[in-house]
Amino acid sequence: MTPNGNETVAVQADQVWFSYRNHDWVLKNISLSIPPGKHTVIMGPSGMGKTTLLRVLAGIARPGKGHVTVFGQSIHALDPRELSSLVGYIPQQLGLVRNLTALENVLMGALGRLFGGKTLLGLFPRQEAEKAQEALDMMGIAHKAAEPVFCLSGGERQRVAIARTLLQQPRVVLADEFASDLDLALASEILGRIRRAAERENITFIMSMHRIGLARLFGDDVLALRNGAIVPGFIGNEILETGPMEAT
Amino acid sequence: MRSTTLLPLAMSIFLLAVLAHLGFFDWQRLARGWRNLGILGSEMIPPDMAILPTAGAALWETVEMSFAGTLLGLLASLPLSIFGTRRLFSSWITGVARFAAAGIRTIPVLLWAIIFVILFGLGPLAGTFGIAAYTVGYLAKIYADLFEGTDPEILEAVGSTGASRLQIVRFVFLPEGANAILTQLLFMLEYNIRASSILGFVGAGGLGFVMQVYLQTLDYRRLASVLLLILVIVLFMDGMSAWIRKRYLLSAQVS
Repeated sequence: MTPNGNETVAVQADQVWFSYRNHDWVLKNISLSIPPGKHTVIMGPSGMGKTTLLRVLAGIARPGKGHVTVFGQSIHALDPRELSSLVGYIPQQLGLVRNLTALENVLMGALGRLFGGKTLLGLFPRQEAEKAQEALDMMGIAHKAAEPVFCLSGGERQRVAIARTLLQQPRVVLADEFASDLDLALASEILGRIRRAAERENITFIMSMHRIGLARLFGDDVLALRNGAIVPGFIGNEILETGPMEAT
Repeated sequence: MRSTTLLPLAMSIFLLAVLAHLGFFDWQRLARGWRNLGILGSEMIPPDMAILPTAGAALWETVEMSFAGTLLGLLASLPLSIFGTRRLFSSWITGVARFAAAGIRTIPVLLWAIIFVILFGLGPLAGTFGIAAYTVGYLAKIYADLFEGTDPEILEAVGSTGASRLQIVRFVFLPEGANAILTQLLFMLEYNIRASSILGFVGAGGLGFVMQVYLQTLDYRRLASVLLLILVIVLFMDGMSAWIRKRYLLSAQVS
C-alpha cells in the first residue's frame, strides 16, 4: 500500500506522446487506465509501439508529453527503489544474466530492498533465498536452481524471468512479448502459472503479445495499438470474445 | 570512379609512398641486412646453456613482476573502467575517467619503468609498478568499452528491480563480461611477460638486465639462451591461457 496512492487505478497514462531523439512520434496521445489485479494484453503488429508503450509505463522511457501514474503516484517522481516496489519490467529478451545461475538471477529481484556489502559478496539473507526458491518452485523449475542460465531452454528462461519479478514483489508487472517464442502448449502452461501467481499476490499484469490465442488465455482486457495510437473500440474485452484480430 | 574503388587505390598509393620513404626499396641495403642477419644467427648457435642458473633467477623475477603488475593493474583498472562507463555515470565523470586512462596509456611501459625507477630506485619494484601502470591504462579502456556494450535489456530489467549502481556492476557487468574480462587479463599477462623482459634495460629488474649485458659484450650465444627462456615462458603462458579459457569459458560459449 502506498501512503498517498490511488488504489482504484493501478496504471494510468494521460495523453502520452513519445518520440526517439525528436523524430516522428512513436506513441501518439495514449490515454489508458488499468484497474488493479487485471491482466491486460497489448496487441498489435510489430513496430507499432508496443515495446515503447511498456517502457514508458515502466518509467524507463520518459514521455515527450503527458504523464504516467502508478497507483496515483507520478512515475518519474519516484526514486528507483520506490519505483521497483511498484513496477517490475520484463523485456522481450528477458534481461537475464547468462553466466549466473537461475537462483542468482531470481535473487536479483530482491536487490531493491537490500543494502550493504554482504549482498555485493553474493551473500543474500536466508529469507530472500527461501523466497527465491519458492518463486522458482511456483514456476515449476526449482530443480534447475543451480543451472547457469545459458544452459536453460527458452521456456525455462521465461520462468526464471517471472520468478525474478515475483521476488521483486511489485504491484504491477509489465512484460514485453512474453512467451511469444514458445509453442502454444508450453506458453499456455507458463501463462497459467503466471495467472495463479498473480492472483495469489494480487499483481496487475500488462503484457504485449501478437498471438490472439495466448491473449485469450491470459488477458482480462485487450488494448490494440496501431501506428503508435490506441485503436478506438478495442479497449475492453470484446476482442477476446469476438475472435482473431485482423493483421496481427 | 566509385568511392569504394577510390579509397583502396588511394591507400595503396599512400602505402607505397610510405614504404619508399622508409627505405623498403633500397635493395642493396636490404641485401646487406640479410647477410648481417645470417652472421648474427650463426654467432647465436649453439646457445650457451651454462648461464641457466643466473638467467633462471632473472626470469623468475620477470614472471613475478608481470604477475604482480598485471593483477595490481587489474585491481586499479576496474574502478576506473566503471567510472568510464557512460551507462552508469554522467558524461563529465566518464570523460575524466576515460581521459585519465588515455593519459596513462599514452606513456609507454618503458617510460613508466623509468619514472618508477626515479621514484623507488633500481630493481623489480619499479618494474612491477611500471607494468601495473601500463596495464591500468589498457584494461580500463577495454573494460569500460566492454561494460558499455552490455545488453541494454539486462540493464533495464535489473535496473527495474531497484538495484544500485554498485549492485549493477556486481551482478550484471562483471558476470556478463566475465569471459572477456578473463580473456583480456590473460592477454595482458602474456604481453606483460614479454614487455617486462626488457624493463631491465632501464634498471627495473628482470631478464632485461642480463640481456643488456650479453648484448653489450656481444655474447650472442648467451643472449640466444635468454631468448629461448623467454620463448619457453611465453609458450607456457600460452598453454596456461588456453587451459584456463577451455576450463572456464568454453561452456559459456556453447549456447
